[in-house]
Amino acid sequence: MSTRELYLVGLSHKSAPIAVREKVSLSGDDLKDALAALKARDGVAEAMVVSTCNRMEAYVLGDSIEPARRIFLDRSGDAAGHLYEAAGPEAVRHLFRVSSSLDSMVLGEQQILGQVKEAYGVASSVQAAGGFISRLCNRAFATAKRVRTETDIGRGASSVSQVAVELVEKIFDDLKGRAILLVGAGKMGALSAKALASLGADRILVTNRSPERALSLAEQVGGSARPWAELPQLLVQADVVIVSTGAPTYVVDPALVHPAMKARKHRSLCFIDLAVPRNVDPALSQLDDVYAYDMDDLQKVVHQTKSARAEEAIRAEAIVEAEVMAFSAERETRAALPVLSQLRRQAEEIARAEAQRTLAAIGEKLDDRGRRSVEAMARAIVNKLLHAPTARLKQAASNGDSLLPGVAAELFGIDGAQGPEQAAPRAATAGAAPPAPGALPDNVVSLSESK
Amino acid sequence: MMSLLILRIAAILYAGAAAGFITFFAKPRWKRAAAWGDSLLLAAFVVHAVAIGFGCREYGGMEFLTLRGGFLMLAWLVSGAFLLVQRVYPVPSVGAFATPLVVVTLLPTLFGPPNAPPQPPERLRHGLLSGHIFVAVLGVAIFALAFGVALMYLLQEREVKGKRFGALFSRLPSLSQLDTLEQRLVRIGFVVFTIALVLGSLLANQAWGHFWQWDPKQIFSLVSWLLYGALVQLRRSGLHGRRYALLSMVGFAIIITSFVGLGLVPVGKHGRDYGLNRPAQGETAGRSAQ
Repeated sequence: MSTRELYLVGLSHKSAPIAVREKVSLSGDDLKDALAALKARDGVAEAMVVSTCNRMEAYVLGDSIEPARRIFLDRSGDAAGHLYEAAGPEAVRHLFRVSSSLDSMVLGEQQILGQVKEAYGVASSVQAAGGFISRLCNRAFATAKRVRTETDIGRGASSVSQVAVELVEKIFDDLKGRAILLVGAGKMGALSAKALASLGADRILVTNRSPERALSLAEQVGGSARPWAELPQLLVQADVVIVSTGAPTYVVDPALVHPAMKARKHRSLCFIDLAVPRNVDPALSQLDDVYAYDMDDLQKVVHQTKSARAEEAIRAEAIVEAEVMAFSAERETRAALPVLSQLRRQAEEIARAEAQRTLAAIGEKLDDRGRRSVEAMARAIVNKLLHAPTARLKQAASNGDSLLPGVAAELFGIDGAQGPEQAAPRAATAGAAPPAPGALPDNVVSLSESK
Repeated sequence: MMSLLILRIAAILYAGAAAGFITFFAKPRWKRAAAWGDSLLLAAFVVHAVAIGFGCREYGGMEFLTLRGGFLMLAWLVSGAFLLVQRVYPVPSVGAFATPLVVVTLLPTLFGPPNAPPQPPERLRHGLLSGHIFVAVLGVAIFALAFGVALMYLLQEREVKGKRFGALFSRLPSLSQLDTLEQRLVRIGFVVFTIALVLGSLLANQAWGHFWQWDPKQIFSLVSWLLYGALVQLRRSGLHGRRYALLSMVGFAIIITSFVGLGLVPVGKHGRDYGLNRPAQGETAGRSAQ
């Protein structure tokens, strides 16, 4: 007896260094080819591959974990020591956690859901994903959406540049028609300037003690270089000033900014000091309409976000857990459903026929109410009789017992001849050739069912 | 008494709208709460209008000559102005500040109809008086919204500047948004207020034979008008931010003093000398709102 199961093999930023990840990673047509090849393997019913820069994971519905493993080992032998594997509900849980960004490098980041959606799209486009993976993914997306709307896991800024962007947004809303001034050539400065430019800044001004550095930096961030001596005037033009020089002292102080504020007519001016030791005098905050932040302030927010997200993750895990259980239960009920629905249909048919016969015989002696009572009684008997078997069958299904549905079918004389939707459990057709994998109707494939 | 019943229904709807906007403020993920708040506010505004209509039929419009009527009108116009702002420049978190303001303004009007609505003398009973009252209250309503926005600005500024990136920080709109909204409200309010002042001085001329008398209400109105005028002018020359917000709050303080304070304290001739009150009734009972 072999079991069809969902298998997962993968590696991620948690298990493998980038050197290994980049060797196995797949994209574009390579991914499609690999998926098609995987699907064509013996014992593979459905397959999907999630490949991002932080992870590569193969999800396979099939007889064994081996084909999923091969997709990694065929590409690089180095991968062997870095793979993680899971089967059944474990694999389901993993996909749900990944989609909900609980397994991401930056907890709660937003891209991963899109990447999983894309992976599912690719798998569908090459017919590698079928009914099972489709249901699995839809549930995963729904889980991710729940996590996002019911918890605060996506809230807050998770990097220094993001914090800077958020701060500037709260002051200026956006930077349309405004200018960013980059003072000094620190690497963080250039990064933040680029992040801020996404708010629609009109221009980026760059100044540095060394004109050559200013020029090359200006080129790098798409701005224009200005002489260092112009700094006081530049403070009038710019709205956001990013300071990251290597200077050991304050480069910007109230004596410099005060006249600039007058000339600006108190339009808000925001300083972001990324230098350590600090380059912006904290006394600047005392000036009206001047906002000054240093590295500590920004880091503090990053840490706040991280711990807030970690707290939210606990709630998110509970959602994932509930969804995994719901998914499993749903699948198992699906597996037991064909027998149940046929059993019920058969019984109701009999009840209706018998009620009809009785009514044909004595119907005219009864009034409307009496006739309805006869019908109701027939239905009630069916319900009472079927109550226990129904409960038992459902329970058996959720315990993974695949024997009972077959026995029940045998016992009640249900055959599978009523059309594909109600395909009888295989035990009922014992002796007949087992259907080919993949040719099974969706609703009889379960996490672990016998063939 | 029909108008009072309808007014109470409107008050309940306003309270619902306030609850919606406050819920949205507390839980920004619940966007639906803001939508509900907005719909309820619209409903309240319409019901309030019906109540005003009934009131006009019951009291012949005279109720607006009292302080109660002034509040009644003020609440209606503040909510109307806010609804309009929401459509032009949607900042739903302002609702958490504006709708409670409406509820508080409406509160004193819910406990009874005006006792003996005053009767203005025959020669003033025409459109000019109604016009003056309506436009003046509309001006106060717009300045009230501007006051709320200025308050939000100062709160947000404290968060941003003090590096307190807490709940208020994330819920209040950006400083720039608040500043822009503030500026627009002040500008529109100034225009409306100017019209009210012109109408008022025309009325004064009819009542007293002079456009200007050193009546406290006139003085207060002129001072606040000058202040708001200065604000509009200063904005042109580039005044922004904190000072702008503070000044507009000062302006509103003066206006509300003249609206409520002078309505309760028997000084000056504005209203009284129109014969709106019978002296026997006491000076404080039902002076003109504006």
